[in-house]
Amino acid sequence: MRALAEWRWHPRLALVARLYLGYVFLAACWHKLLHPAAFALDVATYGILPLGLVNLTALVLPWVELAAAAMLIAGWRARAGAVLAAAMMVVFIAALAAALAQGLDIACGCFASQGLEEDPISGRTVLRDLGWLATALYVWLYDRRPLGVDAWLERRRRGYA
Amino acid sequence: MAHGDDPGGVTVGELGREAVAESLPRALRALGACAVIALAVNAWLHPEPLPLVAEREYEVLVPCPESGGEAAPLDAADARLTSSATYVVDARAAARYSAWHLPGSRSIPYDYLEPTPPDTLCDLAQSIARSRARQVVVYGDGDAPDTGQLLAREISGHGIRNVFYVRGGAPALSASTGGGTGTEHETRAGAP
Repeated sequence: MRALAEWRWHPRLALVARLYLGYVFLAACWHKLLHPAAFALDVATYGILPLGLVNLTALVLPWVELAAAAMLIAGWRARAGAVLAAAMMVVFIAALAAALAQGLDIACGCFASQGLEEDPISGRTVLRDLGWLATALYVWLYDRRPLGVDAWLERRRRGYA
Repeated sequence: MAHGDDPGGVTVGELGREAVAESLPRALRALGACAVIALAVNAWLHPEPLPLVAEREYEVLVPCPESGGEAAPLDAADARLTSSATYVVDARAAARYSAWHLPGSRSIPYDYLEPTPPDTLCDLAQSIARSRARQVVVYGDGDAPDTGQLLAREISGHGIRNVFYVRGGAPALSASTGGGTGTEHETRAGAP
């Protein structure tokens, strides 16, 4: 296990994972940021949150997605970005599982520009999110020296020292 | 952990503890910042700000899960319709069944609003089993949507295999057999 933790290719592999995950969250957030009312309807459709929290969730969640994407892509606080991504994935998977258990035939709302025909919830949606959760957890655990802004700042600081 | 430090001999458990200590506080701060930015943008920059708390319930239309299964179409002139190994079901209203129906067919009127009662489906399954039929053919009014197709899917969805529906329904059947579906035709046979 120690050898796995210290594998020297983790930063490079994690960079690929971060860029991919960042792209996914960027693609997911832009429509929700521009059309919060439509996303609020998607959130309400799941029927999980009380009415008082639907709009607040619809307003804040896209910004969290954007922040996670930016942190992962830039390599600035990348592991914190991975925590945000993983936490969101856990929430999404729980919501999908609850909707599937109720037999709801609804659009995922993951990429909000799509409707029921293009992106219906299914077991495949859950598997997809599980894959992204695993990717986020990998970055969180193993990307100890993320390539990106933090590494560049660190090099500059050492150069001055 | 500072960048450039020698990671030393760390285990996955140590990695986990390090990851939690390093990133959780930062993630929580980022979450708080996102909430502030989201509320500020919504209040001052968004052309159509969303109220923080919805004033009334969202009108969410969630289609009911369909229990229907697969049912293949069959032409009205298909030889299987007259086969002794075929169990025929008439999905039209009882009055239209009384007026005309295919000989040997059984009437199970399809209701758009109410699912077919489980007792009826159970009785149908037993009747099919007793008849030793190898396929079930349903015909309806031939409209769009066709009650025959809808009932065929409902029957198929309850575990009955080899279910077909007649394309065009009773009018197509009537044309192919040279009869009519109106009141001018008498009943040619009773239900099984």
